[in-house]
Amino acid sequence: MPKLTINGKEVEVPAGTNLIEAARIAGFEVPHYCYHPSLSIAGQCRLCMVDIEKTPRPTIGCNTVATEGMVVNTETDRVRETRKSIMEFHLINHPLDCPVCDQAGECWLQIYYMKHGLYDPRMKDEKVHKPKAVPLGPHVMLDAERCILCSRCVRYCDEITHTGELGIFERGDHSEIGLFPGRELDNKYSANVVDICPVGALTDRDFRFQVRVWYLDTAKSVCPGCARGCNIDVHVNRRRPHHAEGRRVARLKPRFNAEVNTWWLCDAGRYGFGFVDAPDRLAVPAQREGGTSTDATWEQGIAAVAGALRRLPPAQIGVIASPKMANEDLFALRRLLDLRGVTQVAGQVSPRVPGDEDDFLIRADKNPNSLGAELLGFGADARTVIEAAGQRRLKFLWVFGHDLLAGALPERDVLEALRVVDTVVFTGSNVNWTSAHSHWVLPATAWTEREGTYTNFEGRVQRFRTAIEPLGQALPEWDIIGRVMTLLGESLQATRAEHLFRQLVEAVPAFAGLSYQLLGDTGHMLATAEASGRRGAGPSGAAS
Amino acid sequence: MAEIVLMRNFSNPDSHTLAAYRAGGGYAAWDKARQMEPAAITEEVKKANLRGLGGAGFPTGTKWSFIPKNHTGPVYLVVNADEGEPGTFKDRYLLERDPHALIEGMLIAARAVRCTKSFVYIRGEYVEPWRRFSAAVKQAYDAGLLGQGLDIVIHRGAGAYICGEETGLLSSLEGKKGWPKIKPPFPAIKGAFGQPTIVNNVETLCCVPPIVARGAEWFAGLGTKTQGGTRMYSVSGRVKKPAVYEASVSITLRQLIEMAGGVSGTGRLKAVVPGGGSAAILTADEIDVTMDVDGLKNAGTMIGSAGVMVMDESVSIPEALMVLARFYAHESCGQCTPCRESTGWIYKMVHRIVDGHGHKDDLDTILDVAKRGAGTTICAFYDGAVGPYISYIEKFRGEFEALIPHA
Amino acid sequence: MSETPAVRAGLTDPATTKFSEPQLAEVRRLQALYPDKRGALLPVLHMAQETFGYISLEAEEYVASLFDLSPAHVHEVVTFYTLYFRERPGRHVVAVCHNLSCHMAGAPKIIAHLKQKLGIEPGETTEDGRVTFLTVECLCACEAAPMAQVDDRYELNLTAEKMDRLLEGLR
Repeated sequence: MPKLTINGKEVEVPAGTNLIEAARIAGFEVPHYCYHPSLSIAGQCRLCMVDIEKTPRPTIGCNTVATEGMVVNTETDRVRETRKSIMEFHLINHPLDCPVCDQAGECWLQIYYMKHGLYDPRMKDEKVHKPKAVPLGPHVMLDAERCILCSRCVRYCDEITHTGELGIFERGDHSEIGLFPGRELDNKYSANVVDICPVGALTDRDFRFQVRVWYLDTAKSVCPGCARGCNIDVHVNRRRPHHAEGRRVARLKPRFNAEVNTWWLCDAGRYGFGFVDAPDRLAVPAQREGGTSTDATWEQGIAAVAGALRRLPPAQIGVIASPKMANEDLFALRRLLDLRGVTQVAGQVSPRVPGDEDDFLIRADKNPNSLGAELLGFGADARTVIEAAGQRRLKFLWVFGHDLLAGALPERDVLEALRVVDTVVFTGSNVNWTSAHSHWVLPATAWTEREGTYTNFEGRVQRFRTAIEPLGQALPEWDIIGRVMTLLGESLQATRAEHLFRQLVEAVPAFAGLSYQLLGDTGHMLATAEASGRRGAGPSGAAS
Repeated sequence: MAEIVLMRNFSNPDSHTLAAYRAGGGYAAWDKARQMEPAAITEEVKKANLRGLGGAGFPTGTKWSFIPKNHTGPVYLVVNADEGEPGTFKDRYLLERDPHALIEGMLIAARAVRCTKSFVYIRGEYVEPWRRFSAAVKQAYDAGLLGQGLDIVIHRGAGAYICGEETGLLSSLEGKKGWPKIKPPFPAIKGAFGQPTIVNNVETLCCVPPIVARGAEWFAGLGTKTQGGTRMYSVSGRVKKPAVYEASVSITLRQLIEMAGGVSGTGRLKAVVPGGGSAAILTADEIDVTMDVDGLKNAGTMIGSAGVMVMDESVSIPEALMVLARFYAHESCGQCTPCRESTGWIYKMVHRIVDGHGHKDDLDTILDVAKRGAGTTICAFYDGAVGPYISYIEKFRGEFEALIPHA
Repeated sequence: MSETPAVRAGLTDPATTKFSEPQLAEVRRLQALYPDKRGALLPVLHMAQETFGYISLEAEEYVASLFDLSPAHVHEVVTFYTLYFRERPGRHVVAVCHNLSCHMAGAPKIIAHLKQKLGIEPGETTEDGRVTFLTVECLCACEAAPMAQVDDRYELNLTAEKMDRLLEGLR
């Protein structure tokens, strides 16, 4: 581990560390554009210059490996002046699009100009003009004038997705990022180029012109789109409800987790939040009788459910949970079902068409918590419960989340089941066929509106945090279940998800030793998973 | 009158044939080199004080010795025949008139660096030189000179000055855009296709057979204390007899201009570009410099590719700078920001000045931008552009100011 | 750079944009010369230009398939280098050098003369498809300035009259 001195501070770094990373370890920021820890070294932007003792000129930091005894200074007058010059070079042909550019507020030309530039511009000639507002694919918009030709996006498509769609064409100041004419940027991870583009050259089509980034709040979370559980940040707009067409969740961004998704997020996960602010959200408890639905109160809804559970023999009660529910929800449900001795229980509804999978991040299982559901006793296929309902053995059926007609369950069986069961209760966040044919609808919060944990396919338990307030009167599933339990005479003894997690840890051996604190921001493996060496199918894009 | 070494065969119309080359003593040096240890060959070239004749003037023997001793994989020799520096045409003559001299130089160099596969990168526009050289290579293969320890692959460029930069050339050889590579690592450590590579100019390699045949001391004695031999000076512009002239590297610029018949046009010298377009310009009273690497370095310019362009009093310096600024803007590869953005901008400014629409700050802006960019780029292309940007304006500022309204 | 005999004789239909079997063998031979077959890309693009007359997008995709490269990376190479034509050039290409020694020797006059004579700007092709007129950077024949490259040949020591005679010879 070489020891070197940076700005007078001695620091030890792993062998092979470049000077940008070494400076970061020492607590100093070396500004840069083209360098990215996951990509090959380009050395093109020339911004990461540092002064190294015994070297006559400033040297780029990205391509310089820290060696024993090296003396580096990142803040000499000469380095500062060089940075200023490099900033000027970057802005010579850059269009002054800030007022109309989505990147404003998180743009590294703006940020570094304010920190390292602050010169008076003197370019009075006509700037080079290039194509603007060019859709590259379904998710990415290109503005070639804004591009600083750092080549991160080109290297990403070559080295991470191995799809090679992007190139830098022509030469000199007419160089231009682009696709092969007639082709699209349509790989399943295309929108990551928006994240790594330091400027507004590559922007998100979904987010285009929606809301200014300085109005956004952020929460650390986990994508519920599949069993990988990529770490994300949820960006929400509270402050300007009249922007973004009233959408509260503005966008999702990947959050770095070396063990799960590194820097990346698939497009399906990134754009899977639309349902949160869709018009078909269930916001109010409702009762349906004779084909018409009327709003009800939580008291009425909970009383109806508790009444049925109290009145009916356990054998006549069926519950279909969901692997989209959090560990805390499933544990609360387990407590409720054990309280009444309900055994007609399932959790899985197979999809009609198998989900897509690849050797990078995408898992065929499009649920975030299948493993948690399995460990908490909800691994069975819903077919058994539907059969029992169809055989008139059930008088009460509580369905969590699923649209029973959307999966592989035979349509006839589902229609029959819902026709003959006396009381069908649906708990979920959005309208679907099942909710429209249930007797009671008890609305649940979306995953962005509460906190909890999921267990990914490898056995990593990860926290997702509240990003936005619940919509209308929706409640987290565990809260709904807790209120039912209270009416049945048993307190959940939990006012927060974390309380349930603590109970879960005590009660379920697989989760032994875990706590929200231990999970932190990057999660923790189940003790059993770690012991059994279940880990292994990590993302192939992880930097070594 | 210095000895003619490099151009010794030119007067023979068949000089490009194997028979003529052999008749003139060709391939005798290779026979001698085959009996020498590789390290001994390198030593001889070092002692001869041979310096690279393509532009950088780096000591050739020293470059050869950078190849890692314990490397077990291939070592490549790559010949830079991508001549493109404005004012330079010497390699074109060597390729057309004495291709076997290059082949013999390659054979000896390849032995010195333990290379069995070599590439010759010829600029795409050099069609006739390519045909001549290809024919010579075929003759050498037929005669068993090649294919018995050295193979030559001829690779045509496709039109890009930056492919004359050694690592830009390597990128192009690898089938990519001619983007120079970030250094370190340097080509001798990691070059073509990731292997240790020596890149040498055509003329430099043509010096090698004479050095081996007649000895390092002889070659060193032809030149100055720090640079041996003769070289071919491409002299053009406002001279009476534009042509390629061979002379000792100790010749002065004044003597060279006389060799070329003296100044034409008005007959009054105004300025000289001594080392290809990228060299800082010299005024009429700076021509008593020796035309070797160190002589011109000390004079604040460079010998580069020895492309000498002579300007008489009727040449407009601002126009000359505009022509070169246009060249740099067109040839910038675009890889790194300072060069990509400022070559275009500076051309726009100089163009405006020549057109009579200059602003009074333009000259200082050009000088400042050039100075800020120098030394910050991936390769020396930009430093080559900075040579003219700064020297033309600093040495002939009055001529520029005369074109700027209210300057 | 001029219309190839093959194209003129109708032997190759650029629309099909494929190499013949012997040509494919040549591609493989070239690829084998390099430690990484990608090294043969520039030579094969020259081959494509000679065969098809210019390098169309179809040709780029075709060549990309011969090298297991994405078309975008072939497009990068084709757009970087000046000798690859992306549109069919005229039957003849007249490339006049406008760099420093040629400029001092009168290249601007030759260029102006050609503009007037051909009726087109540099970069354009005459309407009858006869001549593509280009201005180019140093061709390294400064001792014979002003000069031009006409198809494969260097034409040296140009005057307006010499240029006219050359043009007459270009069918």
